[in-house]
Amino acid sequence: MTELSSSGANVDQKLKEAYFTASQGQLIWTRFKKQKAAMVGAAVLIILILSGIFAPFLTPYDPTITGRNADYLNGAPNVPNFCDDNGCSLRPFIYSHERSRSIKTNFRWVTEIDTSLEGRRYLTFLPQGDSYTLFGLQFNTHLFGVDKGKVHIFGTDSTGKDIYSRTLQAINTSLAVGTIGVFIAFVLALMIGGVSGYYGGKIDSVLQMITDAVRTIPTIPLFMALAAFIPDTWSSETRFLFISIILGFVGWPTLARRVRTHLLTERNQEYVLAAQLCGAKPGHIIRRHLLPSFTSYIIVDLVISFPYMVLSETGLSFIGLGLKDPVNSLGVMLQNVTSADVLLNYQWYFIPVFFFITLVLAFVFVGDGLRDAADPYSDSKK
Amino acid sequence: MTKKALISSRDLSVHFPLPATRLFGPKPFVSAVEGISLDIQQGSFFGLVGESGSGKTTYGRALLRAVPIAQGKITYTDENVSYDLTSLSAEEMTDYRKRAQLIFQDPYAALSPRMTVRDIIAEPLEVMGLTKSREETDERVREIAAKCRINLEHLRRFPHAFSGGQRQRISIARALVSNPRFIVADESVAALDVSIQADVLNLLKSIQQDMGLTFLFISHDLSVIAHTCDHVAVMYLGRIVETAPTRELFAEPRHPYTKALLSAIPSLDPDYAGDVQKLEGEIPSPSNPPPGCKFHTRCPHVIDICRTEEPRLSKLGFEHDVACHRWEELVDPSE
Amino acid sequence: MSKPLISVKDLSIKFNTDEGLVTAVDNVSFDIAPGEILGLVGESGSGKSVTAKALMLLNPENCVYGSDSKIIMNLEDDEIDVFSLAKSRDKKVIRGGAISMIFQEPMASFAPAISVGDQMTEQLLIHSDMSLARAKEISIEMLERVGIPDPAQRFGQYAFEFSGGMRQRAMIAMALSTKPKLLIADEPTTALDVTIQAQVIDLMKDLVKEFHMAILFITHDLGVIAQTVDRMVVMYLGTLIEKGAVRDVLRNPGHPYTKGLMEALPRLDDLDTPLKAIAGDIPSPLDRPSGCVFNTRCPVSLGNECESRIPSYTTQGDEHLVACHLMEEGRNSK
Repeated sequence: MTELSSSGANVDQKLKEAYFTASQGQLIWTRFKKQKAAMVGAAVLIILILSGIFAPFLTPYDPTITGRNADYLNGAPNVPNFCDDNGCSLRPFIYSHERSRSIKTNFRWVTEIDTSLEGRRYLTFLPQGDSYTLFGLQFNTHLFGVDKGKVHIFGTDSTGKDIYSRTLQAINTSLAVGTIGVFIAFVLALMIGGVSGYYGGKIDSVLQMITDAVRTIPTIPLFMALAAFIPDTWSSETRFLFISIILGFVGWPTLARRVRTHLLTERNQEYVLAAQLCGAKPGHIIRRHLLPSFTSYIIVDLVISFPYMVLSETGLSFIGLGLKDPVNSLGVMLQNVTSADVLLNYQWYFIPVFFFITLVLAFVFVGDGLRDAADPYSDSKK
Repeated sequence: MTKKALISSRDLSVHFPLPATRLFGPKPFVSAVEGISLDIQQGSFFGLVGESGSGKTTYGRALLRAVPIAQGKITYTDENVSYDLTSLSAEEMTDYRKRAQLIFQDPYAALSPRMTVRDIIAEPLEVMGLTKSREETDERVREIAAKCRINLEHLRRFPHAFSGGQRQRISIARALVSNPRFIVADESVAALDVSIQADVLNLLKSIQQDMGLTFLFISHDLSVIAHTCDHVAVMYLGRIVETAPTRELFAEPRHPYTKALLSAIPSLDPDYAGDVQKLEGEIPSPSNPPPGCKFHTRCPHVIDICRTEEPRLSKLGFEHDVACHRWEELVDPSE
Repeated sequence: MSKPLISVKDLSIKFNTDEGLVTAVDNVSFDIAPGEILGLVGESGSGKSVTAKALMLLNPENCVYGSDSKIIMNLEDDEIDVFSLAKSRDKKVIRGGAISMIFQEPMASFAPAISVGDQMTEQLLIHSDMSLARAKEISIEMLERVGIPDPAQRFGQYAFEFSGGMRQRAMIAMALSTKPKLLIADEPTTALDVTIQAQVIDLMKDLVKEFHMAILFITHDLGVIAQTVDRMVVMYLGTLIEKGAVRDVLRNPGHPYTKGLMEALPRLDDLDTPLKAIAGDIPSPLDRPSGCVFNTRCPVSLGNECESRIPSYTTQGDEHLVACHLMEEGRNSK
């Protein structure tokens, strides 16, 4: 008809062609994009992961004892202001505080906040501070700091460590534990579930029995036993690795079962038989047909396993069976939360909890979204 | 001129194991195919027809060595080689795979959804190492795709872009790319709409002429077989009950089952008042076959011997065999 | 002329999908007389199943019926406008009451964990106020009537213990136990072996006479249609393209699609004529051609006219309607 409709038809044609030539990954991505919750979750997740990786840069102080502020124990969060009674300023500032004790205060430590103009401490950006190592290189620059003294936007804990710095580092640690744990679980699951699913028969029965046995191992008693076994001489890093590895070794059965189920279904597909009738070797079939068929499902399983790893580690560290100071994780940070003192007076200790709720929820939303998007071929069947 | 049989089976049996009921002793099994002796001539478009439980699919797969053979022999003989398919060395098996291929029934399940059409068709070439370079593979893929009337621009697309009929053509192209001599088409048009069926059937016939192939066409649809095949074998519960050239089978069926099968096909003429032989009863389960002649439980002409002794295939004419104790008496005098 | 049992007028059905509003059925009208067997023929994408489900309001939530669409059912004392039935209580009458449906896959129709007998009595108890004992009695009677041996024993068995043909019979028994006026049979014999198919078709024809009920017989198999139905309706891509008595349509097909189907079908009475395929593929419902839906594959298409205008129905003979531009104004080229 008119030119407009013919160009419209062209666009239509291009879209159709794009659909026809879209690979599995592209189809999944298109479907994933349509889900708002999942996209939001993905964005949040990326932000949190980056925060964890770049934690030393984003936080002003070293989260361990070396970065502590001895003058500000259990200190309330310093929220930066732009304006106050003395006027506004472009640079955000906090108030300086002083701790003193004397006869006047009955020898109790008392913190005074100086809200005058002189008491202002302006935030500085990209200052030099405690040195840290990132990707093997040493840096000194942090994202922000304060011209005099220290700034604690989430407050400090009982030893004066900055909670904000600790939170971001905790995210990093938990993600690292999760990654190692999921990776180990995944490798084991692929091997055992893969052999089980591909060969079937007696091998499958035997491996299934082993899988079920491992799955029923109760984790708390296991970790208690391990906690007793870990010598105190081990460094925190070693301990950290050990916990991660154990989590992986305990977490593989669920994943293995899924791998096995996927393989058992895919193995009987007619296109696999077609390949076998050409004389294809098992390696070729696994590589070309079976693996791509369940890659999407496995990615979903991996993403969904992540929060479980994080939560397991948190729980274990909370009851003292997992990581310990100075290695930071949410569980470690929450260890001190149980006293009434904290609950009544130092509520800012709970701020990290919201970060973790957000992190786990983000994983869950992304995982759900992936799972819904991961079967792009269900429409094309008659 | 005696044509050589391309594929010849003698007393072929395929058994599938059932879950064992006892720890020791003979293991129970289902006889999917029992004692089949059949010759398929080179260049023939051979039809194999039967209902569920007849074993026709299993027989087709046995010829391709896709299922284990319990008893019997299969011999494959073409211009270059002659194989005993029941005892092939690994090398011979690889070579046989190039010469014998399968086209599946379900066009939606037979194509790997994550491979492009070009890769799907090229896979046999790559697996069997039939081409030396990517260009050669591409060339061959294009050649076959054109033969199967697949639009060459569509080679970059994935299977989800195609309809049932188009997918079946891709399936056919994949089967043909290794230049086979023998194709087993297992219910290859059953899942297609009628208007598409005719198209695919015509394609298969033209390819057969063009490339000099031999086809084993498995179907439950006698009308389709009547129009495409030159020779037909009828199977019931794992046995062959009758085999004959197509015209002869349809003009003069001898086995009661064949007669009933033919008359059960609904005619397109609403006023058709032909000789309708309705069969009573159900098809027996292959795991529990009746003794003697497998068809005796539903046969309108059953006598005592049918219940105890299984009939052998007897020759009654040129290439016309039937397995029935009473075939001579049952010849309709009006024919 | 008595009133038709069910009257479908201008039925249009669209579906709300991710890709937009998809037309599944476009302006379909037909009547079924009491005691008549009407055949509905179509290939995939023809909209035949969707049409059948509309009669029982069984289509999914994202289905949009046309505002002019009407389905009227004329029972003895009642006239029911199906689309005005809102409450589930009222819908009961068309679901299992006056209308019953049987499907292609009998395994899918029976719940695997409940005995067949229990499902049959459930059907009866919902639609009447008889006692459980009476319902059981009637169910066993029906099982016997459809030719299932040992009905009392079969009553207590589960669906997996029945063979394919028997399951289909049991499904017919279940559908008929409420003595519906209309039985919708959606591809009931497609999954059956041909020898069993013949038995089931015979059974249905007997039951029609005995119960004086009508059947809407949906299938793609023209042979079954020829032997079973009185009148037939041909659908292509959601449009009704031909309608008439089965002898008229099969012997003198008016529409190029119907003619094409007849030529593509392998016939046992004519082994010499080669099979003639219909060119092209069935378009996807997302890609409905404009004008006459068949124009993209039609061997006698008039070009522009067929691409732009939807053909109206022309009468060819006695109540034999064809939707084709060639038929209009006596331009029949054949």
